[in-house]
Amino acid sequence: MKLTKSLTSHNNWFIIKPKLTGILVFLLFCIVFSLIISQQYQIAKKAKYDAMRAKLQAIHKSIDESLKNYYVDALTLSLSINDKGIPENFEAVGKQILATNPNIDAVQLVPNGIIKYTYPEKGNQAAKGIDILNSKKYCFEAFKAIETRKMYFAGPFELRQGGLGILGRLAIYKNNKFWGFSAVIIRLETLLKKPEFVNLDHSKYFFQFSKINLNTKKETFILNTKEKLDPENAVTSIIPDGDWKLYLVDKKPNELVFPFVIRSLLALFLASLIGFLITSFFKKPAELEILLRKQSDKLLKNEIKFKSIFDQAAVGITYVDSHTGKFSEVNKRFCELTGYSSEESKSMDLESITHPEDIKKSLLFLEKLYKHEIEEFSLEKRYISKYGKIIWVNITVSPLWKKGETPSNHIVIIEDISKRKKADKIIIDSQKRIESLINTVDGIVWECDAKTLEFNFISKKVEDILGYTSEEWINTPDFWTNHILPKDKEFTLRYCEEQTALKQNHDFEYRIIAKDGTIVWMRDIVNVIVENNEAKSLRGIMIDVTKTKEIEKELNNSFNLVSEQNKRLLNFSYIVSHNLRSHTSNISSIVDLIETSESEEEKEEMVQLLKSVSDSLNETMLNLNEIVNIQTNVGIVTENLNLKQYLDNTLSILGDQIELKGVTVVSSIDDTIEVNYNPAYLQSVLYNLISNAIRYSHHDRNPVINIDCYIENKKTVVQISDNGIGIDLNKNGHKIFGMYKKFSTHKDSKGIGLFITKNQIDAMGGSITVESEPNLGTTFKVYIS
Amino acid sequence: MKEKTIWIIDDDPIYQIIMKKIIVKSEIFSSNFSFSDGKEAIDSLKKIILKNEKFPDIILLDIEMPILDGWGFMEEFALLKPQINAEIKIYISSSSIAIEDKERAQNNPGILGYMSKPVTLDNLIKIAS
Repeated sequence: MKLTKSLTSHNNWFIIKPKLTGILVFLLFCIVFSLIISQQYQIAKKAKYDAMRAKLQAIHKSIDESLKNYYVDALTLSLSINDKGIPENFEAVGKQILATNPNIDAVQLVPNGIIKYTYPEKGNQAAKGIDILNSKKYCFEAFKAIETRKMYFAGPFELRQGGLGILGRLAIYKNNKFWGFSAVIIRLETLLKKPEFVNLDHSKYFFQFSKINLNTKKETFILNTKEKLDPENAVTSIIPDGDWKLYLVDKKPNELVFPFVIRSLLALFLASLIGFLITSFFKKPAELEILLRKQSDKLLKNEIKFKSIFDQAAVGITYVDSHTGKFSEVNKRFCELTGYSSEESKSMDLESITHPEDIKKSLLFLEKLYKHEIEEFSLEKRYISKYGKIIWVNITVSPLWKKGETPSNHIVIIEDISKRKKADKIIIDSQKRIESLINTVDGIVWECDAKTLEFNFISKKVEDILGYTSEEWINTPDFWTNHILPKDKEFTLRYCEEQTALKQNHDFEYRIIAKDGTIVWMRDIVNVIVENNEAKSLRGIMIDVTKTKEIEKELNNSFNLVSEQNKRLLNFSYIVSHNLRSHTSNISSIVDLIETSESEEEKEEMVQLLKSVSDSLNETMLNLNEIVNIQTNVGIVTENLNLKQYLDNTLSILGDQIELKGVTVVSSIDDTIEVNYNPAYLQSVLYNLISNAIRYSHHDRNPVINIDCYIENKKTVVQISDNGIGIDLNKNGHKIFGMYKKFSTHKDSKGIGLFITKNQIDAMGGSITVESEPNLGTTFKVYIS
Repeated sequence: MKEKTIWIIDDDPIYQIIMKKIIVKSEIFSSNFSFSDGKEAIDSLKKIILKNEKFPDIILLDIEMPILDGWGFMEEFALLKPQINAEIKIYISSSSIAIEDKERAQNNPGILGYMSKPVTLDNLIKIAS
């Protein structure tokens, strides 16, 4: 682990410092390249020198061969010496040697170190006689030849005939006694005139050779060259036969440097390129690495932050393993809430902490979550704490797996809602109490908007009273307005609007059509709720007052009946006061007059008058009796009567009068119509109305009486109309059906017929109405119930 | 005193006969006329206005009458009043004992008094004086 870490950090180090890495890589490549290049350089240089050495060797070999030839020549010459130590045929031998070896300039025999024989003699006379063994100039080389007993080449030196030459000396022993030398003189030019030498590329190399002075050990360069000899750039070879040192010097020692400089530059470029590439290669990861570090720092901080949030949250938070349902991690608040410690919680699961009644519900939601049917869910349920206490909580469950993945873990956030639940319960209880209170009230409690009259509350009592459910009432706009009896609607709405505008509580009555179609009387007691000086809503209670209304109606009816009876009673008192009193007062006056009468004649006149008063009184009494009979006769017998038959009967009774006045009777009544009536009353009603119509006919025109029968409001109506003189109903309408009310001075008018008619119709439970226009005619309508 | 005229407006013919007898006996009035309803009396008043004849001094008016009753007469009379340049004393004489009628009579400024039938000679003398 640690190792990996250090490695990682090492790697990281490279990655983090891309520039340094680049430079290091650059240097590494520089070293590698320079090593390679120098190696190559060395190889190239060696190859060059090897080539030079080979060339030099060839030259060396060629020179060596020449020198061997000269040795043979020198030996040949020495053979010309006879046993006496005198050369024989020197001239001829010399000539022959020169002829075969053109390189040899001259040959010499030097007995005892003194030059004695020279061929050709010409040109070389100067050398004759020189004792070389005693000459400082030549002795070292001469002795060297004796010493080595080989041919030793001396020189080069200036030839007397000009040019450089070398002298090969071979010590000759005769009878093991030093004789002298055999010598050949060779032109240097010819010696060097070798193909190897000539073919040498002089642009590349130059040749030099030196002689090491035997005496001084000093090296003397022989060839004249422009170039300066640098031993560094040269290969050497030593020819011991002459103590010569051959040099082959490289004319262009630096020719290899230039291409290698280019190569070096190329390598440098390549190295820097690699370095740069490495830098840029590591630069991106470095940025990423820095970002990564920052991010991981942030992540760490966030983790700390979330950890503290997790721990210090005011709500309980748990991580739950979705497979086992166990709490893998819980926070402090959860522990406080449930009473379990963090360790204890880890061995627990949903089922062990949830109220038994809520487990099923919770599992159902979880299953949905697992099946991806829902993305998350909230649920109000009960936990049971360690100490057995029930805690109401609101849990929010969020999955930690992505869509399509199998469930792994989920988070549960737990909020303690016990207090709220408690408060809720109190509210619900009190609401229920109020609701049940409202619903027990024997009236419909309601609330609606003051402007739109849309109901937002109506108590359940509405179903008992009107049959509508409160839901349909509330959910249907204008339900109330649409169910007021059309007759009452305008008044109700107007009144309501007026009172609301005045912000006045009101109390009024109207009718509503119930669900079963019955009409229900409602007393509506309304409170106007004012907010901000504006009528905001209306609240009230509707009470079913149908029964009260019925009672009221009955009361009204009986009141009307009583008033009617009162009226009749009053009428009766008038009858008594007017009709009876008028008779009694007349009697009283007549009696007075009789008492004060001055003659028998006058007395008789008064008695006659008294008699007529008595008759009138009797008639009045009879009429009164008849009316009392009608009014007191409660159980009048009724039967089904044919209307036409009774009408015809009446018309035949009135036949004379009809004929006399020329009345036209138009009847639309056929013999199918039957009415349930008392026979005498029907006869009387028809007689009175038709005889009235005949009596009050207009004398300017032919009287016409129309008799019709029809149904109006489920009641049979018999209508009798004439074109007679008519009645001014404005003046007399109120007393038309009164007793002794007459509207004309007609001689037959008694003022009793209509009074009796009305009484009879009333007694049958019907009614009579009149329509009339003076001078146009009158129409009576008899309603038969 | 002898110049006074009295009108009886009543639909009861027996009452008319009786009143005539009493008026004659009283010897206060020079003449008397009877009308069986208010309309007849109004028509006569109109005639008097036209012919510029003498208006009655006293009218005894019944309430219950056909065509035009006592109250109807009073209304018509009020319309004619500007054209009448004499003082006519109108008394109600009715068999009605209803209080309403009495009150109504009292409230009408054109009616001087209410006499319940029967009207006696003494009553007549009293109103005439």
